Amino acid sequence: MMHKLLLLIFLPFGAGLLALVLPRRLREGMALAAAAADLFIAASLFGKDSACLMPWLGFGIDFSLRVYNFSAFVVFAAAGFAFLVVLYSTSFMRAKPCLGQFYGYVLISLSFVNGALLADNLIVLLFFWEGLLILLFGLIRIGRKEAYPTAIKAFVISGIADLCMMAGIALTWRLAGTLAISKINLSTDGALAGTAFVLLVIGAISKAGAMPFHSWIPDAAEDAPLSFMAFLPASLDKLLGIYFLIRISWDMFKLQEGSFLSIALMSVGALTIVLAVMVALVQKDYKRLLSYHAVSQTGYMIMGIGTCLPAGVIGGIFHMINHATYKSGLFLTAGSVEKQAGTTDLEKLGGLGSRMPVTFICFTVMALSISGCPPFNGFFSKELIYDAALERGLIFYLAAIMGSLLTAVSFLKLGHSAYLGARRSGSADTKEAPAAMLVPMIVTAAACVMLGLGSRFVLERWLAPFLGEAGAWHMPAANIMLIILTIVVLLAALIHHLLRVRATQDALKSADDIYHAPFIRAVYALAEKKYADPYEAGLAAMGLLTRALAWLDRKIDWVYNVAIPGMNNAFCGRLSAVHSGYYAVYIVWALAGSIAAVLFLLK
Amino acid sequence: MSNGHSLLIIVFTPIICACILPVLGKVSAAFRNYLALAAVLVSFVYSASLLPLVYKGELATFTVAMPLGFDFTLRADSLAVFMACVSSFISVIIVLYSFDYISHYRNQNEYYSFVVLFLGSMMGLVFSGNLVFLYLFWEITAITSWRLIGFSREKEHALRADKALLMTVSGALLMLLGFIRLYLEAGSFDLAAIRLALQSQSISGLTVGLILAGIFSKSATLPLHTWLPDAGIAPAPVTALLHAAVLVKIGVYAFARIFIVTIPLDLPWKTFVLVLCGISALVSAGAAYRETDLKRIIAYSTISQIAFIFLGFACGVQIGVAGALLYILMHGLAKAGLFLCAGIVEHNAKTKDITRLGGLINVMPVTALAFLFCAFSVMGVPPLGGFFAKYMVFAGAMEGSSFWIVSVFLLGAILTILYLYRAFSAVFLGELKISASREGSPVMVFCVALFAALSLAGGILVNYPGVLARYTAQQMLSWAR
Repeated sequence: MMHKLLLLIFLPFGAGLLALVLPRRLREGMALAAAAADLFIAASLFGKDSACLMPWLGFGIDFSLRVYNFSAFVVFAAAGFAFLVVLYSTSFMRAKPCLGQFYGYVLISLSFVNGALLADNLIVLLFFWEGLLILLFGLIRIGRKEAYPTAIKAFVISGIADLCMMAGIALTWRLAGTLAISKINLSTDGALAGTAFVLLVIGAISKAGAMPFHSWIPDAAEDAPLSFMAFLPASLDKLLGIYFLIRISWDMFKLQEGSFLSIALMSVGALTIVLAVMVALVQKDYKRLLSYHAVSQTGYMIMGIGTCLPAGVIGGIFHMINHATYKSGLFLTAGSVEKQAGTTDLEKLGGLGSRMPVTFICFTVMALSISGCPPFNGFFSKELIYDAALERGLIFYLAAIMGSLLTAVSFLKLGHSAYLGARRSGSADTKEAPAAMLVPMIVTAAACVMLGLGSRFVLERWLAPFLGEAGAWHMPAANIMLIILTIVVLLAALIHHLLRVRATQDALKSADDIYHAPFIRAVYALAEKKYADPYEAGLAAMGLLTRALAWLDRKIDWVYNVAIPGMNNAFCGRLSAVHSGYYAVYIVWALAGSIAAVLFLLK
Repeated sequence: MSNGHSLLIIVFTPIICACILPVLGKVSAAFRNYLALAAVLVSFVYSASLLPLVYKGELATFTVAMPLGFDFTLRADSLAVFMACVSSFISVIIVLYSFDYISHYRNQNEYYSFVVLFLGSMMGLVFSGNLVFLYLFWEITAITSWRLIGFSREKEHALRADKALLMTVSGALLMLLGFIRLYLEAGSFDLAAIRLALQSQSISGLTVGLILAGIFSKSATLPLHTWLPDAGIAPAPVTALLHAAVLVKIGVYAFARIFIVTIPLDLPWKTFVLVLCGISALVSAGAAYRETDLKRIIAYSTISQIAFIFLGFACGVQIGVAGALLYILMHGLAKAGLFLCAGIVEHNAKTKDITRLGGLINVMPVTALAFLFCAFSVMGVPPLGGFFAKYMVFAGAMEGSSFWIVSVFLLGAILTILYLYRAFSAVFLGELKISASREGSPVMVFCVALFAALSLAGGILVNYPGVLARYTAQQMLSWAR
C-alpha cells in the first residue's frame, strides 16, 4: 500500500522529467501512458484507507501520506481529468511550441497535486501545494511570448496566498502541537485560532480561485494554452482548494454553524457568485466568459461549505466534482472551436452547430448542467446548496439563485452566438474536431448526465461517508418549492433571452440590457476601471508603500553621505581655524593652559 | 593528527597561502589560481571532517596560553563547524567562478590573495573561542573587504570602499568597547568562561548595546546598512562572497555565538532586536522594489533576508534557531547564485541597469533559469531549500515573538516575491534590448547552475542539512540554559 502512495507522486514526476527530454515522437505516448497508469493506481486505491510515514525534518515535519475515502476519491477525479486533458492535448497541442515543457509541467503538476491530496502533514501539503506555483508560472508562460505578465500575476497572487497559508500553518502548529492533519482538532474560538483558520482559508480559496484571488484566471484564459485552463483552474485547482477547505473547516477546525467565520465564508461565496457572473455576462470571448464562470461557480462550493450543514458541505463537494466535470469539458469545447475555427472571439463566431455537431451537443449538455437544469448534475448539487443556504439566511439563497439566473442568461448568449445563428467571418469551412479531442468532451458530457441521474447513489454512498460521523446522512426529501423556483428562474432566463434576441437581432447583445440596467451599470463602470482587480489595487498600494520605504532608506543614507562628513568638516574646520599660525595667539593659549594647570594643582 | 591541529589547518592554510599567492602569481597565473582554490578547498574539507566529531557532542579545541586573558583559543562546536562548512563551501564555488570572471582584470594577484585571506580570517573568526581574537579576525575581514570593494581603484569605487570600511569599523570599535566592559564584568575574554561567570547574573544594557552596534554594522541591518548596496560596485564574485554569502553572516554568527550561546538576551533587548529587524526587513525590501541597478536590488534583498535570520535567532525557540541556521545555508547558496548571475549579465551585456536590459532569457537561458531558481529559493517557494528555512523561522517567530512582528515579516516576504520578480522579468523577459549579449563562459555558467541545483537539492534533500541544523540548535539552546 505504502509504495502505491509514493508511486502516485513519483511516477508522474519521473514521467514529467522524461517528457522534458524525450524526443517528440515518444513524448506524447509516454505522457498518455503515465497519465493512464496514474489513473489506474488511483482507481485501485478507491475506498481504501492506508498511510505511510517517514521521518523528515523533525519539529513535527514528517513525510507522512495518508489515503482515505475522501482523498482517494479526489485523487481519482484528478487522475481522470489529467488523463482526459493529456488525451485531448495530443491532438489539440500538436502544432504548438514548447510541447516538451507542456507535457513535462502537466505531469509534474499532477504529481504535486497527488502529493498535496495525499499529504497527512501540513508542511508536506504546503510543499506540494506551493510547489505548483512554479509549474503554474511555467505553464502560463509557454502560452505565447507576451504571456509572462499574466504568469507573474498568477504567481504573485498565489504566492501571497501561500505565504499566508504558511503563517497559518505555523500558527496551527503552535496551537495544536502537531502538524498531522488527521490529528489536529481545534475550535475556531479565540483570536489566535480564528487567525490561523482565516490564514489557512485564504490559501484554500485562492487555490480554488474565489474572489478576491481570481483575477489571474481570466487573463490566463487568453494567454495560456487552453489545455492548461481545462487542467488547472477549471479542475485540479478547484479539487485541491475545495478539498483542503473541507479538511480545514470540517476536520481540523470545527467551524460552528452561525459563527462569524461561517457567515464570513458564506459572504465570500455569495459575493464571488454574484460579482463574477456579472462580469461573465458581458464577456465577448468564449474562453474569458468561461473563466469568469469558473470563478463564479467556486462561490457555490464555498457558500455550501460555509453553511456548516451536512447538506451544504456534501452539496459543496458534489458541486466541486460536478463543476470540475462540466467546466473542464466546456473549456475543451472552447479548445475545439479555437482549433477548428481559428478564434474564440464571439464577434467572429456563429453557426458552428451544424459544422461541429458533436461539440455542440456536448456543449449543450454541459451548459445545461452549469445552469442547474434538471436532470443534469449541476441541478442536484445546486439544490443542496440552495437548501442549506436558505436555512442560514434568505440573502444567501437570493445571491445563489441570482447567480443561477445570470449563468443561464450568459450561457444562452454564448451558445446562441457561437453555435446557432448566421455564420460569420471566423467560422467559414469549419470541420468537426478530431477524435482525440472529441472523446474527452464526450466523456465529460456523459459524466454530467451520469452524475445527474445517479446523484442519489453518488451522494449517499460515496460522498456522505467523507463527513465521518455524519456519514449516515441521507438525501433530504426534495424541496418542491425550491425546485419550482429554480425552474421558474431558468424559464425566465430563456424567455428573457428569446425576447432580447428578437429585439436586438443579435444573440451576442442579448444580455446588454442587464449591462445597462441603472444600478448595475455603475458596478460595471468600477470593474472596467480595474478597481475590481485586487491585484492592480494591491500593486498600487505596494507602489506607495515602497516609495515611502525607499525614501526612508535614502534619508538614512543621507546621514552617512552628507550629514556625518558635513559635521566632521565643520568640526575640523573650527579646529583648524584656531591654529591660525600667529605667535601671539599661541602664547595666549599657552599662558591660559599654564594658569589652568596651576590652579588645578593648587586646589 | 589531533582535531586541534585540524583547526589550525583550517584557519592558517588560507592565511599562509594568501601570503604566497602574489609571489606565485609572478611565476604562473594558472598555478596561482589552482593554489587559491586548493587553499579554500582545504578549509572546507577539514571543516567537513569535523562534522562527525561535533555531532557526537564533542568539542575540538586548540589553545596557546597568553598573558592578560589573551589566550589564543580555537574551539569547534557544532555551530562553528556548521558555519565554517557553509562559508568555505560557498567560497570554493565562488573562487572557481573567479577563474573566468576576473581573468580580464588587472591586479589579479591582489584579488586572489585578499579573497583567500578573507576566507582564512573568516574561519578564524568562526572558530575563535576568545573575544579578542574574534575582534582581530573581524577587523581583518573588514580590511580585506575594503580592498576588494575598491578593487578597480576608480575614485568612486574607492569612496564606496571607504564608506564600507568606516561604517563597519566604527561599529566594530563600539563592539570592542562592549567586549572590554564584558571582560570587566565577567573577568575573562574566553567565551566559555564568560558563560560560566555570567550564568546567574545579567549584564548591563550598555554592554549589550555596544556589541549589537558592531553586529548590526557588519550584518548591514538598519540603520547601519547603507554601505552594503553601495559596495555592489565590486566585481561580482566579490559581492557574492562578501555581501551575500559570507561576510554579512559574520554579524549573524556573532549574534548567535554571543547572545544565544553565551549570554542570552533579556526581554527588552530581544524585543528591540526583533523590532529593528522587522523595520530593516521592510525598508530594505521597499528599497529593493524601487532600485533599478540589478546588483543593488540583490544587495538590498540581502539586507532584508538577514533580518529574517536575526528573527529566527532572536526568538530563541529551537525551531526558529534551527530555521535560522538553515536560512544561513539556503540564503548563502541562493544569494551567491543571484550575484553570480548578475555578474554574467553585467559581464556580457555591459550594464546592470534593469531598465536597459530585457529578454536575456533568449540568449542566456541557463543563467536565466539559474537566476529564477535561486530567486525562488530566496522567495521561499518549494521545492527549493528556502521554503523550509522560511517556514521554520516563521514557526519560531509565532512562538517566540508577537503576532505583529510576524505580520511585518510576512509583508517583507510578500515584497520579496514582488521585487525579485520585478528584477527577473525586467532583465530576462520581454523584448531583447541588447542584442550583442551572449551566454557566459562554461565555467561561470557551471557555477551558477551549480548554485541553482544546490538550492533545489537543499529543498528536496532538506533532511540532511535539516538534521544538522536541528542538532546544532538543540545544542546551542542547551548551553544557553
